[in-house]
Amino acid sequence: MSTPAPHRPSDDGREGPLPEARAWNIVSTLLAGLITFGGIGLLCDHFLGTSWLVLVGLLAGTALAFYLIWFRYGTR
Amino acid sequence: MSPLVLAAGEGFTPPGPEDFWWPIVGSDASNWTLTRPAVVALFSVALIAWFFLAATKRRSIIPGKLQFVGEGAYGFIREGVGRDLIGSKDFRRFMPLLFTQFTFILVNNVFGIIPLIQFPTMSRIAFPIGLTVLTYVVYHTVGFRKKGFVGYLKDLVPPGLPTWIVPFIFLLEFVDKFITRPLTLSLRLFANMFAGHLLLLVFILGAEHMILDLGPALKVAGILSGVLAVVMTFFELLVEVLQAYIFTLLTALYIGGALAEEH
Repeated sequence: MSTPAPHRPSDDGREGPLPEARAWNIVSTLLAGLITFGGIGLLCDHFLGTSWLVLVGLLAGTALAFYLIWFRYGTR
Repeated sequence: MSPLVLAAGEGFTPPGPEDFWWPIVGSDASNWTLTRPAVVALFSVALIAWFFLAATKRRSIIPGKLQFVGEGAYGFIREGVGRDLIGSKDFRRFMPLLFTQFTFILVNNVFGIIPLIQFPTMSRIAFPIGLTVLTYVVYHTVGFRKKGFVGYLKDLVPPGLPTWIVPFIFLLEFVDKFITRPLTLSLRLFANMFAGHLLLLVFILGAEHMILDLGPALKVAGILSGVLAVVMTFFELLVEVLQAYIFTLLTALYIGGALAEEH
């Protein structure tokens, strides 16, 4: 294509991605928190014979995901 | 008992996953059976190739119709997805991947509601998985190349976190980037296309059955179902375009994330 890129005022000096674009990652971070620590809880339940660690894992995973989201997108 | 099962008792076969199995050459479930989605996918490739060859054949400053549409689509992905999500420094070398993915998914999705073709290729999960594998390999390769093996893994965790929490965040981020992302990327596309096609089948087959086989009161319901099928078809068009866009957007986002320094 020989068409030049249209002038975009928002480009001023920015070489990396739009900072707001990172917000798309939030859902998958939350999901990863649930899956990872819920899964660890489930495994522990399976091997220890308990039944409440999966709940602890799910809650801890969600809390950790929220913390990471706040730290990464909220503080900077 | 669900209403669908009850209806099945009256001579109506509700649509199900078996409606997505369309062998053309060979009918057993062997690996070499030529199926309808495979033919549709091949046709889409030929169609896209023809379109862009035709659109770029006679280029001029004042674009013709084909050139206008082709350049419009390319510009949309280039500016709105590539540049915004990867950044103006690196996005150019990923444009072939992004634009191919977008056009391939878009055409195959929209085929779901084109008369006679009427099959969304992406409702067979192998297609989304194949596309996702490509995205997955590309963004991890790009990340490992740019930051080195240790550097890429180190970069999963944002600096400045309290030390005790770092291992947990690392685990979380590792699972996110290596497991959740490909899983959600392929399942989102597959599930949207699968569910959308099934929904249309329910409305259309339901309308046909009620109008042709049942009493006057249900004939009215059947007509209503038919009207809703048309409405849902337009809704499907929206979903199909949106899913093609989202898949491309997320590919660009993952590549951009793998290239960007965490700071």
